[in-house]
Amino acid sequence: MPNGRCSSAGSDASVGEPSGDQPCTSVFARAWAKAVVGTSYLPMTHAQLETLLQRLTDLLAEALRAEPLDLRVGHRVADELVASHVASAEALGRTVEVIQLRLIRDLDLVADDVEDRMARLLGAVATGYARALRDRTLDEQESIRRAAMTARAQAEQALRASEARFRHQATHDPLTELPNRTLFAERLAAAVDGSGDGRCRVGLCFLDLDRFKRVNDSFGHQIGDRALVAAARRLRQAVEPHLVARLGGDGFVVLVERSTGTGDVVAVAEAALAALSEPVVVDGHDVTVTASVGVVERRIAGTSPDDLMRAAGSTLHWAKSAGGAGWALYDAERDSREQARQELSAAIPAGLERGEFFLDYQPLTSLHDGSLLGVEALVRWRHPRLGVLSPDRFISLAEETGLIVQLGGWVLAEACREAVGWVGGSGRPPYVSVNLAVRQIRRPGLVQEIQALLRRTGLSPNRLQLEITESAMMTTSEEPVRALRALADLGIRIAIDDFGTGYSNLAYLRNLPVTELKVAGEFVRGLRTPQAHADERILASLVSLAHALDLTVTAEGVETGGQADRLRAIGCDAGQGWHFGRPASPDQILARIR
Amino acid sequence: MQRPDWAPETIDVERPSVARMYDYYLGGSHNFAVDRAAARAMVAAVPQAPLMAQANRAFLRRAVQFLTDAGIRQFLDIGSGIPTVGNVHEIAQRHAPDSRVVYVDVDPVAVAHSREILAGNDHTAVVQEDLRRPDRILTHPDVRAMLDFSQPTAVLVVAVLHFVSDDDRPTEVLRTLRAALTPGSYLVLSQASDDGRDEAERTEAEEVYRRTDSPLWIRSRAELTGFFDGFELVEPGVVWVPQWRPETPESAEDAERAVFLGGVGRLGG
Repeated sequence: MPNGRCSSAGSDASVGEPSGDQPCTSVFARAWAKAVVGTSYLPMTHAQLETLLQRLTDLLAEALRAEPLDLRVGHRVADELVASHVASAEALGRTVEVIQLRLIRDLDLVADDVEDRMARLLGAVATGYARALRDRTLDEQESIRRAAMTARAQAEQALRASEARFRHQATHDPLTELPNRTLFAERLAAAVDGSGDGRCRVGLCFLDLDRFKRVNDSFGHQIGDRALVAAARRLRQAVEPHLVARLGGDGFVVLVERSTGTGDVVAVAEAALAALSEPVVVDGHDVTVTASVGVVERRIAGTSPDDLMRAAGSTLHWAKSAGGAGWALYDAERDSREQARQELSAAIPAGLERGEFFLDYQPLTSLHDGSLLGVEALVRWRHPRLGVLSPDRFISLAEETGLIVQLGGWVLAEACREAVGWVGGSGRPPYVSVNLAVRQIRRPGLVQEIQALLRRTGLSPNRLQLEITESAMMTTSEEPVRALRALADLGIRIAIDDFGTGYSNLAYLRNLPVTELKVAGEFVRGLRTPQAHADERILASLVSLAHALDLTVTAEGVETGGQADRLRAIGCDAGQGWHFGRPASPDQILARIR
Repeated sequence: MQRPDWAPETIDVERPSVARMYDYYLGGSHNFAVDRAAARAMVAAVPQAPLMAQANRAFLRRAVQFLTDAGIRQFLDIGSGIPTVGNVHEIAQRHAPDSRVVYVDVDPVAVAHSREILAGNDHTAVVQEDLRRPDRILTHPDVRAMLDFSQPTAVLVVAVLHFVSDDDRPTEVLRTLRAALTPGSYLVLSQASDDGRDEAERTEAEEVYRRTDSPLWIRSRAELTGFFDGFELVEPGVVWVPQWRPETPESAEDAERAVFLGGVGRLGG
């Protein structure tokens, strides 16, 4: 109902009001807005707030006038306030206060029970407000908790993803994306340990690209790497579902689990080789790679990952030394033989240090008068476990590993040291003949070492003979020849050992300062039979050739008096062999001299 | 300290979050006990802290309204926090429903919450990123998908620069953002300032915020003005936030109690 008192009160809100009620409600609404502003953040302009509160004022005014009193209006007003973010304890307090103080007066509401109605309506507003605020608080709490849970779940997922990424990086080769050594070791260990049934079998193909360094050298590392990637991809496809890992460089290994026999693993090796047989085209280059594979297959019981890997490695080595481009199968006997050799070879340095090596000497006897011209030093090894070993057990090992330099040096020094004392008696003291390995001759400083040795021991140079093999001279390098010439100039005798069995290049006889030829025993052995004319003629020719070049000739392997007679008849100068004396200790040699 | 890219994020709701503290100042309930405890400690030190937050939020509302009126339809709100009451998109889209808004915050909980609230709003996106890495914000696919930087865009860095120390080179950060904008774009800045403030109050406030991941870095009006380098300041320049284009003269009274200075700059040329 229009109310004149409100408009006539001269309120500052009476400007351009559209309806009669407007001025009164707007006065109240403005007061209400002023009361609640600042109680919490209100996401609206002041004008918007006043508009909202004016509408709510109308609702309240209507409710106070209506019959019966509808308390739900109070709830609705409260809901709207909270929904519009007029939602704080302070806002409620101010709202109750301003309504109680001003609403009836500002709107000029007159009724008998208006006070009573106002109290009930305010009660409804407060109830509704508290309820709405509580709901809103609960909703917001729920919502922020949900957000925290979501964020945490996402963080955990990211963590798992990054862990998976770390794990992948740690277990894969970045170039080829194949599993790396770490992952392979894990899988192999699981395959060997995991199976409760020791009858299960397992196999490995240890694969290595042949001469891959050449690919890198001729095309560059970038193309080399891409060829590796291509090879890795082919390998993986060829041996699926077996695990193939890159162990580094151009080495790969395939794990064959639950093998039923050697055939299974050989089939995998052949598949791998076939996959690599086609050239890889990288950047327009045809890169051809072949591979060698070491294949091991055995029962799980009694083996270990280390055993398997070692066996596969040795087998790969066999495949490589057989020329590559193929597979080799593990052979326990060969392996143990090689291992024994390996162990023996590894024990040489310690044996030298502990004085386990010693020398025997074999006489070199004149065929003219039976006198002792010299002795050949022969090294023996008193092995603590294997007993006395002859040189054929360990010299080739020492040559392979390079230990021959150390061992040969010791032999030379020991021979010189012992030979110094072999004087006395009537005739000339015998010379000592020592074998010199290829590696020793090629070593720079050989001449100085021998000079120093002679000086140290006091042995006269003409009492030392160095035996070298024909192959030692098969070198393009000038250095060894120069060294031998320097040694000969010192007065040291130089003998060619095993002459006639090797290359027998006569040219070097012209160029080298050789003093003697030692003719291999196999020619002498032929002299046992009366009809061995060929051997005899060869020997006779050798002797006359040697004499023509001013060289002496010693025949090796003389076992009988008959052989000695024939050699003497041919004109051979000296003989060595059981007929003249077996290798003997220095004491026995000394006894023979005196 | 920024988290390196490889380090997975951890969610620690045992530590107060500045976004949730701000929500508390604004009267929201999107916060945990630890946030409320820190916020109450702040209020004990600086009693008008809730008023500051409200004043700052009102400044944001008026600034967005101003930008919408100026024809801006793209908004990049960096450090958006918990957008519960008076979001940029609500203000902008009320007048221009085609307005596009990207919210950026470093707080993963705030981001998760924003995503939930904004689900279904095709014109908004939420990105978890750090103001200190503006390049990553500008090149983020969600940002690129929502905003076309060849069109005028408003960048809002409201109530967040005081969490960026000078060591984190805020000038360079803003320069990077500016370089991405086309002429006619805007920058809105506000931050806590100590101009004319009590030293003890500042120390206590800093103490409170040291408990969070985001210690306070209070700056002067001159420093804040300097951040608008390259922009033309819109009237009335850098002022206490209630003084920035107030709706009523009364609302600008006691403006310095708001502690926040703010301003809006326009990229000319």
